[in-house]
Amino acid sequence: MNLVDMSVLVCDDSMFARKSLCMFIATLGVKNIYEASDGAEAVEKYKANKPDIVFMDIVMPVITGIEALEQIIEFDPEAKVIMASSVGTQAHLKSAIKAGASDFLQKPISNDQVKQILENAAKGEL
Amino acid sequence: MFSQFFGAYLLNEGKVTKEQLAKALDEKKNTRMRLGVLAINDGLMTAEQVEHVNLTQQTVDKLFGDLAVDLGYLKPEDVTALLAKQPSDYLLLGQTLVNTGVLSNSEFESAIKGYKSKYSISDDDISGDQSDKLASLVNEFYHFSTAENAKIYTNYITLLFKGLIRFIGDDFTPLEAYVIKKAAAPRIVSQRICGEYSAYTAIATGADEYSALAKRFAKEAYVNDAEFDDASVGEFLNVCNGLYAVNESNESGVELSLIPQQFTKNSSEDLTKDAFCIPVQFTFGEIEIIVSI
Repeated sequence: MNLVDMSVLVCDDSMFARKSLCMFIATLGVKNIYEASDGAEAVEKYKANKPDIVFMDIVMPVITGIEALEQIIEFDPEAKVIMASSVGTQAHLKSAIKAGASDFLQKPISNDQVKQILENAAKGEL
Repeated sequence: MFSQFFGAYLLNEGKVTKEQLAKALDEKKNTRMRLGVLAINDGLMTAEQVEHVNLTQQTVDKLFGDLAVDLGYLKPEDVTALLAKQPSDYLLLGQTLVNTGVLSNSEFESAIKGYKSKYSISDDDISGDQSDKLASLVNEFYHFSTAENAKIYTNYITLLFKGLIRFIGDDFTPLEAYVIKKAAAPRIVSQRICGEYSAYTAIATGADEYSALAKRFAKEAYVNDAEFDDASVGEFLNVCNGLYAVNESNESGVELSLIPQQFTKNSSEDLTKDAFCIPVQFTFGEIEIIVSI
């Protein structure tokens, strides 16, 4: 799959984090980018659009990123969800992996990291 | 970070004004190190000897290093070693101040000796693993040892300054801290840290400085809009606090979590405990870091 054909869901309650990540992903040629600002909206948008990859913050209102991750995995066990948090402690890391996360990133996320993840996902190597 | 505290030392000793320092911080990126300043810093030459070489250079067409060897001030191997050195950031600041005539070579010599002696800094501290030395520099500069939770304050401020350098820029000078009971400023973004201990952290600024800070953090993603300013400065504080929480978890096994940020405009926030207010002078203006643990 090419990056152009991929669809990505970015979920973060921080408008800054969400917009800057979406903006960078768009520069890579990805056309289908969905945004969610809380965990519940992320689950809803995942079910509606079934994106190829999800970037998910952990600390969010309504339901947390971990709870959203659990609901997405329950709906689609093959979902590729990358957790991104400003508090990447061992406790958060363990709960994310246990809930089925494909990877875990400590914020701030670098553009190189995002590019690498998307390229791996496009090659089916995530 | 040695550069920022060297600037603060020069300011506190009355050797430079805020304006001279801000101008030098702005010009530092275009400054090329000269051998004389490096030789003074390493204690290989005195300021008088450097002046002598500089004066002689006006009548002889020779490089500084060759002339210093001819005059018997340096050995050829000293020149090779000095040229191979990667100049530290605080030396670039010193060189800029010398170039612009704010400091003479002898004033630079005495300032560098005074700075290193006041904070017990050696060249190994500056070139080696700096973490411990930076923390002790922060602790001594702010006299945190007299406060309850001194270690937490020291670690937090050290990490926040590293965050400022990494995400905002190195063109700042930390100013003397003072204690406050209420945070008041045109713009305040605050975030509480909770868990095994709790802390109040905030950045307080004027409206223009707030936008400048937001712009620096967002870089090319910046959108000129008040809501975006909040999102950007809020995310900067969140990222720094997150890195602090990760450090505490990894190094001390202390688990902390972050509460969503609060934004206050043209008002004040009452603090439940006394807080340190740490003004930081950037070239675009002053911001205040407020922390209470």
